[in-house]
Amino acid sequence: MKVRLETVSLTTLVIPEGRLDFGAAAEFQKHVEEAIARAGRAPAAVIVDCAALEYVSSAGLRVFLMAARTAKPAGVLFAVCALQPSVREVFDISGFSRIIEVHADRAVALAYTPPPA
Amino acid sequence: MTERRTSVPNDAAQLAVLTEFLQEFWSAGSLPSAHAMTFELALEEVFMNVVMHGSPPGLAVQVDLSLVLADGGVTMTVEDTGPAFDPLTLATPDVEASIDDRPTGGLGVFLVREMMDTVSYQRIAGRNQLQMTKRIDS
Repeated sequence: MKVRLETVSLTTLVIPEGRLDFGAAAEFQKHVEEAIARAGRAPAAVIVDCAALEYVSSAGLRVFLMAARTAKPAGVLFAVCALQPSVREVFDISGFSRIIEVHADRAVALAYTPPPA
Repeated sequence: MTERRTSVPNDAAQLAVLTEFLQEFWSAGSLPSAHAMTFELALEEVFMNVVMHGSPPGLAVQVDLSLVLADGGVTMTVEDTGPAFDPLTLATPDVEASIDDRPTGGLGVFLVREMMDTVSYQRIAGRNQLQMTKRIDS
Protein backbone atom coordinates (compact mmCIF):
# COMPACT_ATOMS: atom_id res chain seq x y z
CA MET A 1 0.00 0.00 0.00
CA LYS A 2 1.12 3.53 -0.76
CA VAL A 3 0.18 6.51 1.44
CA ARG A 4 0.40 10.15 0.34
CA LEU A 5 -0.22 13.27 2.41
CA GLU A 6 -1.62 16.56 1.13
CA THR A 7 -2.45 19.76 2.95
CA VAL A 8 -5.38 22.04 2.16
CA SER A 9 -5.32 25.06 4.50
CA LEU A 10 -5.86 23.57 8.01
CA THR A 11 -6.77 20.12 6.72
CA THR A 12 -4.37 17.23 6.23
CA LEU A 13 -5.47 14.68 3.67
CA VAL A 14 -4.16 11.14 4.12
CA ILE A 15 -4.48 9.28 0.83
CA PRO A 16 -3.97 5.48 0.98
CA GLU A 17 -3.72 3.55 -2.27
CA GLY A 18 -4.23 -0.19 -2.59
CA ARG A 19 -4.94 -2.74 0.11
CA LEU A 20 -5.20 -2.00 3.82
CA ASP A 21 -4.68 -5.50 5.20
CA PHE A 22 -2.89 -6.90 8.22
CA GLY A 23 0.49 -6.38 6.59
CA ALA A 24 -0.18 -2.72 5.71
CA ALA A 25 -1.98 -1.65 8.90
CA ALA A 26 1.08 -0.70 11.00
CA GLU A 27 2.55 1.62 8.38
CA PHE A 28 -0.83 3.21 7.64
CA GLN A 29 -1.32 3.77 11.38
CA LYS A 30 2.05 5.56 11.53
CA HIS A 31 1.01 7.96 8.74
CA VAL A 32 -2.39 8.69 10.27
CA GLU A 33 -0.97 9.24 13.77
CA GLU A 34 1.68 11.60 12.39
CA ALA A 35 -0.97 13.54 10.50
CA ILE A 36 -3.07 13.93 13.66
CA ALA A 37 -0.05 14.89 15.77
CA ARG A 38 1.07 17.48 13.23
CA ALA A 39 -2.43 18.86 12.69
CA GLY A 40 -1.78 20.84 15.85
CA ARG A 41 -4.28 23.06 17.55
CA ALA A 42 -7.95 23.14 16.76
CA PRO A 43 -9.53 23.98 14.43
CA ALA A 44 -7.74 21.45 12.30
CA ALA A 45 -8.83 18.34 10.45
CA VAL A 46 -7.47 15.05 9.18
CA ILE A 47 -9.38 13.45 6.32
CA VAL A 48 -8.57 10.00 4.95
CA ASP A 49 -9.43 10.09 1.25
CA CYS A 50 -10.25 6.47 0.38
CA ALA A 51 -10.89 6.93 -3.36
CA ALA A 52 -7.94 4.63 -4.17
CA LEU A 53 -8.43 2.26 -1.22
CA GLU A 54 -9.44 -1.10 -2.68
CA TYR A 55 -9.64 -3.29 0.39
CA VAL A 56 -9.90 -3.04 4.15
CA SER A 57 -9.95 -5.81 6.78
CA SER A 58 -10.53 -5.66 10.54
CA ALA A 59 -6.82 -4.86 10.98
CA GLY A 60 -7.37 -1.74 8.86
CA LEU A 61 -10.64 -0.82 10.57
CA ARG A 62 -8.80 -0.84 13.87
CA VAL A 63 -6.51 1.94 12.62
CA PHE A 64 -9.52 4.11 11.72
CA LEU A 65 -11.01 3.54 15.18
CA MET A 66 -7.76 4.38 16.98
CA ALA A 67 -7.34 7.50 14.83
CA ALA A 68 -10.84 8.76 15.58
CA ARG A 69 -10.20 8.19 19.29
CA THR A 70 -6.87 10.03 19.24
CA ALA A 71 -8.23 12.95 17.24
CA LYS A 72 -11.25 13.64 19.43
CA PRO A 73 -9.52 14.79 22.66
CA ALA A 74 -6.92 16.63 20.56
CA GLY A 75 -9.71 18.72 19.06
CA VAL A 76 -8.85 17.51 15.58
CA LEU A 77 -11.76 16.72 13.30
CA PHE A 78 -11.34 13.23 11.81
CA ALA A 79 -13.30 12.04 8.81
CA VAL A 80 -13.10 9.65 5.87
CA CYS A 81 -14.38 10.19 2.34
CA ALA A 82 -14.88 8.58 -1.06
CA LEU A 83 -15.27 4.97 0.12
CA GLN A 84 -15.46 2.41 -2.70
CA PRO A 85 -18.56 0.18 -2.47
CA SER A 86 -16.73 -2.86 -1.04
CA VAL A 87 -14.95 -0.72 1.57
CA ARG A 88 -18.21 1.04 2.37
CA GLU A 89 -19.84 -2.35 2.97
CA VAL A 90 -17.22 -3.19 5.61
CA PHE A 91 -17.67 0.21 7.27
CA ASP A 92 -21.46 -0.28 7.33
CA ILE A 93 -21.50 -3.86 8.64
CA SER A 94 -19.00 -3.08 11.39
CA GLY A 95 -21.02 -0.04 12.47
CA PHE A 96 -18.03 2.22 11.79
CA SER A 97 -20.02 4.49 9.46
CA ARG A 98 -22.02 5.47 12.53
CA ILE A 99 -19.06 6.31 14.77
CA ILE A 100 -16.74 7.80 12.14
CA GLU A 101 -17.74 10.71 9.94
CA VAL A 102 -18.09 9.51 6.32
CA HIS A 103 -18.41 11.94 3.41
CA ALA A 104 -19.27 11.18 -0.21
CA ASP A 105 -16.14 12.71 -1.69
CA ARG A 106 -13.22 15.00 -0.98
CA ALA A 107 -15.08 18.19 -1.90
CA VAL A 108 -17.90 17.44 0.54
CA ALA A 109 -15.44 16.47 3.28
CA LEU A 110 -13.46 19.69 2.80
CA ALA A 111 -16.66 21.73 2.96
CA TYR A 112 -17.19 20.39 6.50
CA THR A 113 -13.67 21.17 7.71
CA PRO A 114 -12.41 24.39 9.36
CA PRO A 115 -12.08 27.50 7.19
CA PRO A 116 -8.61 29.00 6.55
CA ALA A 117 -7.31 31.00 9.51
CA MET B 1 -17.22 -28.43 -9.96
CA THR B 2 -13.80 -26.87 -9.64
CA GLU B 3 -11.64 -27.40 -6.60
CA ARG B 4 -8.22 -26.01 -5.77
CA ARG B 5 -6.17 -26.61 -2.65
CA THR B 6 -3.01 -25.22 -1.15
CA SER B 7 -1.17 -25.47 2.15
CA VAL B 8 1.03 -23.01 4.06
CA PRO B 9 2.71 -22.70 7.48
CA ASN B 10 1.09 -20.42 10.09
CA ASP B 11 3.26 -17.42 9.27
CA ALA B 12 1.77 -13.94 8.74
CA ALA B 13 3.91 -13.53 5.63
CA GLN B 14 1.89 -16.35 4.02
CA LEU B 15 -1.21 -14.14 3.89
CA ALA B 16 0.01 -12.65 0.61
CA VAL B 17 0.56 -16.16 -0.83
CA LEU B 18 -2.97 -17.26 0.13
CA THR B 19 -4.54 -14.05 -1.19
CA GLU B 20 -2.79 -14.50 -4.53
CA PHE B 21 -4.00 -18.11 -4.67
CA LEU B 22 -7.57 -16.90 -4.09
CA GLN B 23 -7.25 -14.16 -6.71
CA GLU B 24 -6.00 -16.70 -9.27
CA PHE B 25 -8.96 -18.95 -8.49
CA TRP B 26 -11.23 -15.96 -8.99
CA SER B 27 -9.82 -14.92 -12.35
CA ALA B 28 -9.54 -18.53 -13.62
CA GLY B 29 -13.27 -18.98 -12.93
CA SER B 30 -14.13 -15.51 -14.32
CA LEU B 31 -15.97 -14.87 -11.06
CA PRO B 32 -17.54 -11.45 -10.42
CA SER B 33 -15.09 -9.06 -8.80
CA ALA B 34 -17.87 -7.64 -6.60
CA HIS B 35 -17.61 -10.76 -4.43
CA ALA B 36 -13.83 -11.05 -4.45
CA MET B 37 -13.32 -8.79 -1.46
CA THR B 38 -15.75 -10.78 0.69
CA PHE B 39 -13.64 -13.89 0.23
CA GLU B 40 -10.31 -12.07 0.52
CA LEU B 41 -11.47 -10.50 3.77
CA ALA B 42 -12.76 -13.80 5.17
CA LEU B 43 -9.49 -15.50 4.24
CA GLU B 44 -7.44 -12.80 5.95
CA GLU B 45 -9.55 -12.79 9.12
CA VAL B 46 -9.61 -16.57 9.49
CA PHE B 47 -5.94 -17.09 8.60
CA MET B 48 -4.69 -14.27 10.84
CA ASN B 49 -6.78 -15.65 13.71
CA VAL B 50 -4.92 -18.94 13.39
CA VAL B 51 -1.56 -17.13 13.16
CA MET B 52 -2.20 -14.77 16.09
CA HIS B 53 -4.30 -16.87 18.43
CA GLY B 54 -4.30 -20.48 17.28
CA SER B 55 -0.62 -21.25 17.42
CA PRO B 56 1.16 -22.00 20.71
CA PRO B 57 4.83 -20.91 20.67
CA GLY B 58 7.16 -23.53 19.25
CA LEU B 59 4.38 -25.55 17.63
CA ALA B 60 4.37 -25.65 13.85
CA VAL B 61 0.80 -25.35 12.61
CA GLN B 62 -0.16 -26.10 9.06
CA VAL B 63 -3.02 -24.26 7.37
CA ASP B 64 -4.85 -25.77 4.40
CA LEU B 65 -7.05 -23.72 2.10
CA SER B 66 -9.61 -25.26 -0.23
CA LEU B 67 -11.77 -23.38 -2.73
CA VAL B 68 -14.70 -25.04 -4.46
CA LEU B 69 -16.88 -23.53 -7.16
CA ALA B 70 -20.15 -25.44 -7.47
CA ASP B 71 -23.89 -24.82 -7.82
CA GLY B 72 -23.49 -21.07 -8.31
CA GLY B 73 -21.57 -20.61 -5.09
CA VAL B 74 -18.06 -20.67 -3.71
CA THR B 75 -17.13 -22.71 -0.64
CA MET B 76 -13.92 -21.79 1.11
CA THR B 77 -12.57 -24.18 3.73
CA VAL B 78 -9.70 -23.32 6.06
CA GLU B 79 -8.24 -26.13 8.15
CA ASP B 80 -5.45 -25.95 10.70
CA THR B 81 -3.62 -28.42 12.90
CA GLY B 82 -3.63 -26.13 15.96
CA PRO B 83 -5.42 -26.73 19.29
CA ALA B 84 -9.20 -27.03 19.10
CA PHE B 85 -10.82 -23.62 18.83
CA ASP B 86 -14.24 -22.66 17.48
CA PRO B 87 -14.10 -18.98 16.43
CA LEU B 88 -17.90 -18.95 16.12
CA THR B 89 -18.11 -19.07 19.93
CA LEU B 90 -16.50 -15.59 20.13
CA ALA B 91 -18.81 -12.91 21.48
CA THR B 92 -20.44 -10.67 18.88
CA PRO B 93 -19.09 -7.12 19.14
CA ASP B 94 -21.61 -4.40 19.97
CA VAL B 95 -21.77 -2.54 16.64
CA GLU B 96 -24.04 0.07 18.23
CA ALA B 97 -21.47 1.05 20.88
CA SER B 98 -20.06 4.58 20.93
CA ILE B 99 -16.59 5.33 19.66
CA ASP B 100 -14.97 5.17 23.08
CA ASP B 101 -16.72 1.96 24.10
CA ARG B 102 -15.97 0.04 20.93
CA PRO B 103 -13.50 -2.78 21.60
CA THR B 104 -10.78 -2.91 18.96
CA GLY B 105 -10.89 -6.69 18.66
CA GLY B 106 -13.50 -9.29 17.81
CA LEU B 107 -14.52 -7.65 14.55
CA GLY B 108 -12.92 -10.07 12.12
CA VAL B 109 -15.06 -13.13 12.79
CA PHE B 110 -18.15 -10.91 13.02
CA LEU B 111 -17.48 -9.52 9.52
CA VAL B 112 -17.03 -13.04 8.14
CA ARG B 113 -20.35 -14.20 9.62
CA GLU B 114 -22.19 -11.16 8.29
CA MET B 115 -20.72 -11.27 4.78
CA MET B 116 -20.91 -15.01 4.10
CA ASP B 117 -24.17 -16.93 3.56
CA THR B 118 -23.13 -19.78 5.84
CA VAL B 119 -20.21 -20.35 8.19
CA SER B 120 -19.68 -23.59 10.08
CA TYR B 121 -17.01 -25.03 12.36
CA GLN B 122 -16.04 -28.64 12.92
CA ARG B 123 -13.23 -30.35 14.78
CA ILE B 124 -12.25 -33.29 12.61
CA ALA B 125 -9.36 -35.70 13.16
CA GLY B 126 -7.36 -33.26 15.27
CA ARG B 127 -7.95 -30.34 12.91
CA ASN B 128 -10.03 -27.18 13.08
CA GLN B 129 -12.18 -26.80 9.99
CA LEU B 130 -13.99 -23.60 9.17
CA GLN B 131 -16.22 -23.72 6.11
CA MET B 132 -17.70 -20.61 4.48
CA THR B 133 -20.11 -20.48 1.56
CA LYS B 134 -21.58 -17.66 -0.45
CA ARG B 135 -23.75 -17.58 -3.59
CA ILE B 136 -22.06 -15.87 -6.48
CA ASP B 137 -24.35 -14.15 -8.96
CA SER B 138 -22.62 -13.91 -12.30
